[in-house]
Amino acid sequence: MFDNIIELLPEIAKAINETLLMMAICLTAAVLIGGSLGIVVFLTSRGQVLARYRHFNLLANALINVFRSFPFIILLVAVSPFTRHIVGTSIGPLAASVPLSLAAIFYFARLIEQTLRDVPRGVIEAAEAMGATPRQIVTQVLLVEARSGLVLAMTVLAVSFLSYSAVAGVVGGGGIGDLAIRYGYYRFQTDVMIATIILLVIMVQGIQLLGQWLARHVDKR
Amino acid sequence: MGTLSPFGTAIRLHGVSKRFAGIDGIEVGVEPTDLDVAQGEIHGIIGFSGAGKSTLLRLINLLEQPDAGQVVVHGEDLTTLSPDRLRAARRRIGMIFQHFNLLHNRSVADNVAFPLRIAGESAARIRERVDACLAFVGLSDKASAYPAQLSGGQKQRVAIARALAPEPHVLLADEPTSALDPRTTQSLLDVLADVNRRFGVTIVLVSHEMSVVRRLCHRVSVMEAGRVVERVSLNDGHIPPDSQLARWLSEFGGGSENAAPQGYVPHAHEREAAHV
Repeated sequence: MFDNIIELLPEIAKAINETLLMMAICLTAAVLIGGSLGIVVFLTSRGQVLARYRHFNLLANALINVFRSFPFIILLVAVSPFTRHIVGTSIGPLAASVPLSLAAIFYFARLIEQTLRDVPRGVIEAAEAMGATPRQIVTQVLLVEARSGLVLAMTVLAVSFLSYSAVAGVVGGGGIGDLAIRYGYYRFQTDVMIATIILLVIMVQGIQLLGQWLARHVDKR
Repeated sequence: MGTLSPFGTAIRLHGVSKRFAGIDGIEVGVEPTDLDVAQGEIHGIIGFSGAGKSTLLRLINLLEQPDAGQVVVHGEDLTTLSPDRLRAARRRIGMIFQHFNLLHNRSVADNVAFPLRIAGESAARIRERVDACLAFVGLSDKASAYPAQLSGGQKQRVAIARALAPEPHVLLADEPTSALDPRTTQSLLDVLADVNRRFGVTIVLVSHEMSVVRRLCHRVSVMEAGRVVERVSLNDGHIPPDSQLARWLSEFGGGSENAAPQGYVPHAHEREAAHV
């Protein structure tokens, strides 16, 4: 019954590595670039400390909405010329990381902007009244007060993009999803399909449990 | 600091105004208003909800940018300062709030250290000030607790310690006791009186509670519809009988003016009166 799986063990190991590679790249891009974007969008929103940069806020919001409107599979195809340009190919996990990162950046920017709204305005105001700079408000107030929500936002991001990375398999992105499609679907190897699903379930559970534990641990409210 | 006379003016608002649309579209704010607060004075601002008293207070450290007018604190017109200089000026103006506004994910000691840390003070100086300020408000034993573990009165004491840490000349208090029960209010007012007496800090206090104002303040500005309609000097809590303040007290305070520490204005009355 599990002959296929045993035979495919090296393939499975490779697929896990590819998935981890795609996740590492797109999550890093999302947290660094998307996180910064989300913070700035929050700061420039109405009533916040940099609200005077209203034009930036409108522009950034529009950009986030545009990229979030793309169904992921369309984005994957649409940016492939760009992907070829910077990676040299549009096939493989590295190439798939480009659209994954793009989608993740704007997804996370929105998540962060919304998470930061949970920080009471009065607390930010108190920091302003004490003479804090916008940078200090970000690093010493927002990121500290919202840290539990930020951890949960990263958890949601990781779970979503584990599943997006499987979609990338459709266009030869590699990874666990690619394996499931090639063997489980096209070759009717149901056991491989089941094995990959179990693998993904375990990974999602792991991410979720870790995220929740960490969020609880850092929350002193 | 040495150039300031002990009887000088700590705060002078000159023709400040601020208008913005309220939640229901009605314009609220402050009409062109003057306010003078002497050095070392405890100045109360009292009025009904929506009279503009919090806005007036927030104009003093420019949390609200005035539409017009001058905001002079210790001889410096804050409206003319660069963002950098304004931040420096704000470090000498402490502020406490109705809902305390502490950082919930930081310990009590870290909350008190916050204004010093953002000002780039040395670790030794921070430790010294945190210890001194927590001792002053009687919470030395709570240094490593988190705000969620404290009572409302304790949270406001932490907020006072935090405001005092950078040794401000002026303390702005925005409804500091409105979220506290009467007994806690009493002990908190004692702390504020102590801040004024021991450190010579000028205090501007906004409240709608008559008992708070009369217990603590040297002078009171009465606000109505965005303007100061009356200025009253309180002599040992005695209110001049011919004043608006005395009339309010007899109307809402329940009983004779000198025996009315429960001169608290109930919320329902505030609303009724606001429509008159």
